[in-house]
Amino acid sequence: MTLAAVSQTEALQPVLQPGDKSEAMLRLLTCGSVDDGKSTLIGRLLWDAAGVTDDQRAQVMHASHARAVNGERIDFSLLLDGLVAEREQGITIDIAWRYFETERRRFVIIDSPGHEQYTRNMATGASHADVAILLVDARHGVKRQTRRHAAICNLVGIKKVILAVNKMDQIGWSEERYRAIEEDFRSLAGNFSFTDITSIPVAALTGANVVARSEEMPWYGGPTLLEYLESVEARTEPEDAPFRMPVQMVLRAANDFRGYAGTVTSGTIRVGERIVDARSGLGATLQRISTMDGDLASASSGDAVTLVLDTDLDISRGAVLTETQRRPTNADVIEARLVWLSEKPFDPEAGYLLRTATDLTPVTSVSVSTLIDFETLSSTQAHTCSMNDIADCRILLGRSTALDLFGDLPLTGNFVLVNALDGATVAGGVITWVQTGAAAVGDNVLVLDRARLSGLCADLGDSPEDRAEYDRRAQEVAILLRSAGVPVLIETDR
Amino acid sequence: MTALTSHLKLLEAESIHIFREAAAQFRAPVLLYSIGKDSTVLLHLARKAFWPAKLPFPLLHVDTTWKFREMIAFRDRTASEMGLDLIVHTNHDGAAKNINPFDYPPSVYTDIMKTQALRQALDNGGYDAAFGGARRDEEASRAKERVFSFRAGGHSWDPRLQRPEMWQLLNGRLGKDETVRVFPMSNWTEADVWRYITLEQLDVVPLYFAKERPTVERDGQILMVDDERMPLKPGEKPTMRKIRFRTLGCYPLTAAIESEAADLDSLVTETLGARVSERAGRLIDHDEAGAMEMKKREGYF
Repeated sequence: MTLAAVSQTEALQPVLQPGDKSEAMLRLLTCGSVDDGKSTLIGRLLWDAAGVTDDQRAQVMHASHARAVNGERIDFSLLLDGLVAEREQGITIDIAWRYFETERRRFVIIDSPGHEQYTRNMATGASHADVAILLVDARHGVKRQTRRHAAICNLVGIKKVILAVNKMDQIGWSEERYRAIEEDFRSLAGNFSFTDITSIPVAALTGANVVARSEEMPWYGGPTLLEYLESVEARTEPEDAPFRMPVQMVLRAANDFRGYAGTVTSGTIRVGERIVDARSGLGATLQRISTMDGDLASASSGDAVTLVLDTDLDISRGAVLTETQRRPTNADVIEARLVWLSEKPFDPEAGYLLRTATDLTPVTSVSVSTLIDFETLSSTQAHTCSMNDIADCRILLGRSTALDLFGDLPLTGNFVLVNALDGATVAGGVITWVQTGAAAVGDNVLVLDRARLSGLCADLGDSPEDRAEYDRRAQEVAILLRSAGVPVLIETDR
Repeated sequence: MTALTSHLKLLEAESIHIFREAAAQFRAPVLLYSIGKDSTVLLHLARKAFWPAKLPFPLLHVDTTWKFREMIAFRDRTASEMGLDLIVHTNHDGAAKNINPFDYPPSVYTDIMKTQALRQALDNGGYDAAFGGARRDEEASRAKERVFSFRAGGHSWDPRLQRPEMWQLLNGRLGKDETVRVFPMSNWTEADVWRYITLEQLDVVPLYFAKERPTVERDGQILMVDDERMPLKPGEKPTMRKIRFRTLGCYPLTAAIESEAADLDSLVTETLGARVSERAGRLIDHDEAGAMEMKKREGYF
């Protein structure tokens, strides 16, 4: 963080009796293809917004000279790439977190790697961001990696993106070229649910339109990057969002204290209101909201609290406390869109676990139905996926767990898939559809296998495409049967 | 009630969430307590996370035997006032061989008395998770750390193999021989720490405040002569200077700054106006490029 910047903008008084900049806090992701200049852009932003201390400045000047990258110029990317291997290779391997503030706003910058091999790290960064800067090299325009990054931003729930067309100095500040790239991006963005797309022509190396307005591009009338970042609204929750609190642990102390500790993920709860455990349906009245600083009258999303109820519910970690009316679904079948993060491709034989807010649920089966094609951004049929793919799939759980749709409540509608053997996080996903009571395997569960579906699938052979089509048909049949109340399991055809 | 800004409340809630996730997911966690300002905040956040229950894990202090005396006094006072389960570990083998910061280069001394000592203590205690107060704004390789930072057998860190950490989901499922360093204060900055200490009225080691103290000047840095073990070079004579520390470690390796800031208010003003980063006073970070990363790969915190 830039203590210097703080001192210029905040005198001691606001520090001790602080004004509130929290609404203004913005988590900003930078992404784009290798060598499009992300680290340089952010380095430039930090440098120009006075966010660099004297010893860091000296270090960068010294290292720039030693590396002689960019001729005699300062290599701003040295402010970001902190690992030895990154400096040696001049690439970003993992995300870097930077903190700085201006007079108007506090920023967390998440600088992500562009290299395809490290897309999983970019996905990690994206999931924490309110706004994404997608960087494009003006000489090359939108690339496959740009589309992939846009798709990941969309998947993790980012609504606002900035298309930063960089290296404008390299194309003679051409408005025509800039407009063509902008048009190209806007047409591909039609595939996503972004609500706000702003494009800005910049030159990170010269600083044009980063903090200072460029004199070389008089045709551009929009905001500079910093102007936009200081004014864009961060993500906000709808006021009437339903209450959710996934229970992290049960706290017990002397005097029979028993409280459910957790972070409220959405909505507000007040003392005296009724609360329900989503999984068991058991209800109780909220008696106290306990913290070390004293009891609270209410708790809202983001608050880490401990709830004390008037009756002890027999619940533990993994339970989701909710309001009585709008409850999550106790789902045991979900459909989800996920990004595959592991170097090992999806393996139908492997054991996976579904980690949601605080629950860890065994997965009975995962079946992939489609993948996103990063050339056309359309969905194509598939039955497997590997690193950096975005796939739609159906997941059967070994038991039910309380879930929401990601589009409704992101923090109780997202998950990661965990390899049960080595603990690795293999995928991150968002829930697009849930169903309850379907995988309650009993004696009367109907198993859909090749024999039972032989009539329906007589035209299908053994090719990967045909197998994917078989899976799709089996799933459709299962949906119909489940909606009629018939418990169904699909036996995968592999 | 406290008067935190909602930014600090957000950071506080996030840290509490992380403490609880780790305590729920790991078998035997331990809190690495190093007595400084970050440790002070870390400990305070831990108490908030589990209040009114007691901390569900012990504290561990790796004592190199070269800490400032005021730090040790503060540590023992804090532990007794708060009724903490404090474990102190020293690499006795290293101490017996008199591995000290004067006769050995900082890298050798740090490796034996800090890194190896930490590994010994973690292995002896059978801990699978260790909380630390590291912040991403401290240093370039710290800026790259996850909240749950997995370490392979032997505590080694491979920055290329960091586990993806999406949304608020913290996956603590361990692989074979793996342990975890947990950083609840990842997203705090030095300014946040001081603001929080001020608003929460937390007690910190008095060395952070300016006072006349015996010092010598060496290689452009001001060192405090904390005890009689410090060998003086020919012609060196300790002189009293009004100094304070921005960061605290082993006294022979921690440079002081001349300052008039004798209370929290003036300290915060001075800190927020600083033109050099916090770690400029940490001699062990400067002995080679990527020094921190290398130390972490070998199991340093």
